Amino acid sequence: MVQTEAAMEAYNAYWANSPLPAADVLWMVVILIVALLALWQARTFVSQF
Amino acid sequence: MDLQSLKKQEHQRRIKYGFMWALFCAVLWGLWYLPGTAVWVLNPFDQMYGEVAASSGDGMALVIVAVLITAFNAATVILALGVWNGVLGKFGEMKRTLKEFHPCSKWFFLASIFGGPMAILGSFIAMGFVGGAFAAVAALMYPVVGAILASKWYGEKVTKRAFVGIIVIILGGITIFGGGVITEIASGNVLWVGYLGGLMAATGWGIEGAIAGKGLDIAEPDVGLTLRFIGEGIIWWIIAIPLLAIIGFPMIKYALLAFEPLTMLVLVFAGITFGFCYVAWYKSFPLIGVGRGQGIGNLYGLFAVIFIFLFFGDVPSWTILVGGFLCLAGSTIMFSEDTGEMESLRGD
Repeated sequence: MVQTEAAMEAYNAYWANSPLPAADVLWMVVILIVALLALWQARTFVSQF
Repeated sequence: MDLQSLKKQEHQRRIKYGFMWALFCAVLWGLWYLPGTAVWVLNPFDQMYGEVAASSGDGMALVIVAVLITAFNAATVILALGVWNGVLGKFGEMKRTLKEFHPCSKWFFLASIFGGPMAILGSFIAMGFVGGAFAAVAALMYPVVGAILASKWYGEKVTKRAFVGIIVIILGGITIFGGGVITEIASGNVLWVGYLGGLMAATGWGIEGAIAGKGLDIAEPDVGLTLRFIGEGIIWWIIAIPLLAIIGFPMIKYALLAFEPLTMLVLVFAGITFGFCYVAWYKSFPLIGVGRGQGIGNLYGLFAVIFIFLFFGDVPSWTILVGGFLCLAGSTIMFSEDTGEMESLRGD
């Protein structure tokens, strides 16, 4: 199912008032950074215990 | 360095890691609210909501769409945990744990029933029939249930300081969402089923934590949690969705329509945040205990407000700032506890 114009408008409206630049992409970058940090800590944890 | 000092050092490291995992859980849970909120306006869920609401009302539409979103969330969590276990080289351990159903995996399948249909569905019922703020406050109560059960069931120690910390964090959460709850309840016409949903959320996650604490005595958290989500996936995809489809809701039609790039992208990010947050939650239990792990995990309310402000631009009100301060105070009480108090997490 292709996104309708109304759906895309509602989706884009979420990020429109963000004080951060390019918030519609930045949130995914932040999640990836935190997730990779957690994964790295998990590997460190495995090697230490 | 003598043996005693080495033992103490090792113990301090375990506590440090325990709090770190609980904090990772809170941050990732807070981040989950971004894809978890945005996915509702995307198709096919938006159209599904409209179709179900037209025939069964808004409250029922919210619960039915929530079932489909939660089922997809469980599926993407399994994928995310597959990557997690792959990176950590835990697939062999998963096979071993899965084979040992009676001593091991039964706990995680049991946890999936309480954490999945009971808590998640309860939370959505509370959201649909009372409101989002009430659902959030109800869910914040789960560490009390978890700490009491873990203490009664297998004698987990909860020191007075840890208990005070848990209570202060809960008070902070109530302050964050409290204004919304009063507005929602004052609006009238709240069905009792909404309050039942709140109770299901608090008890479901509390019981899940206590059961997981038991299962983690003999299994690895990374593997145990993956089995828990496989159990939840089976419950949603093999039982709940076909059952709702038989009753007459358009589950299969909209499940097949969900394979759209943007919807899938948002669901994948929901899976990453939810899966990694849950695995961090489980990892904290054997290190600092179920009560503390759940208490610090409760900081998700504060992180959710921060991320919603940063990415959605919703400016928090003063009550949220007071609640946030209480959350920080509660966690400081717990972080600053003497690690000697936690040398043994069970018994005296």
